[in-house]
Amino acid sequence: MNASLLLAWNAVLSHPLFLLGLTLGVYQLGLGLYERTRMALLHPLIVSIVLLIGALWLLGLEYEAYRDAVLPLTLLLAPATVALAIPLYHNLRRIRQFFWPVLITLLVAGVFVTAVTILLAWLLGADFAMLMTLAPKSLTTPIAMMVAEQMGGVAAMAAAFVMYTAVLGALMGPWLLNVSGVTLPAARGMALGLAAHAVGTSRALEENDEAGAFAALAMSLMGIGTALLLPLCVTLWLLL
Amino acid sequence: MLLRGLTWLILFQLIGTALNVLFLPFLPSPIIGMLLLVVFLRLRGRVSASLETASSGLLRFLPLLLTPPAAGVMMYGNEVAADAAAILVSLTLSFILVVPLAGHLMQYLVARQARKEDA
Repeated sequence: MNASLLLAWNAVLSHPLFLLGLTLGVYQLGLGLYERTRMALLHPLIVSIVLLIGALWLLGLEYEAYRDAVLPLTLLLAPATVALAIPLYHNLRRIRQFFWPVLITLLVAGVFVTAVTILLAWLLGADFAMLMTLAPKSLTTPIAMMVAEQMGGVAAMAAAFVMYTAVLGALMGPWLLNVSGVTLPAARGMALGLAAHAVGTSRALEENDEAGAFAALAMSLMGIGTALLLPLCVTLWLLL
Repeated sequence: MLLRGLTWLILFQLIGTALNVLFLPFLPSPIIGMLLLVVFLRLRGRVSASLETASSGLLRFLPLLLTPPAAGVMMYGNEVAADAAAILVSLTLSFILVVPLAGHLMQYLVARQARKEDA
């Protein structure tokens, strides 16, 4: 009896759909909690990450095994990114109207966040490879990994820093904007997309379509701008 | 409806992949696909109902799609522990500073532009 129960348990655990089902389950649990409480700490993304990491640890599974099992879900991330074109298109008139504010904010805040990250880590004793791994933390994962790699950082760890930033974005992004009194949807979107890439964009979309459009714009331009300029700046710096 | 829209999104993603390999190795293919789709919609002048359905459907689940990569944060516990102070302080503090800065700067610049246009 016990042996057959164990057999059944193992069959369930090793079924290819188990981890996918688990992910959907914890996400909905998080969604339910979040809709009831509206607390950023209980955002579905945060709840899911904590529960998933706990579950993988209890089951003794490696992250790689999990990543492979939920590939069908992750594959949809690419068309979802392309789908951001629709809110962008709907707000194109607004974006063109605010062309200079967008460009100036991007340049000032983009340089600021990268420089402050490098400076603080350097003051606290991080070595060069670590600085180059930290620098692209505000970018969307694929760009961050490429940029880190190009500059002598560790691509996989850069992805982890991007995700830590994502957690910060989900947890504190909208709250920081509320506390500091930023109310304009375009400005809230710019700040969230620039500082916390796709997760910031996702949070901005929860607020409204206009914030979402500016977040998608900020995320893309921040990624493109940093991919072009940061390796150039680092090369020049090393030459001096 | 949903399927047709999804097919368009995947098509633009794949065009993005081709362009990424051919000319733009520094930009990820979904970003290229997104920018191309904006240009395409601009030329066409409207968004079809199928594309609207597929995109709002997918974007509603964006946090779910971001969950598996975000859980990858668990892989680097040991490496991070060695430099924990430098990493956590620089990532957290720079984030806390940049969000209000970017928000206020944008809000100020938009307001200034509005005043200029009124004057």
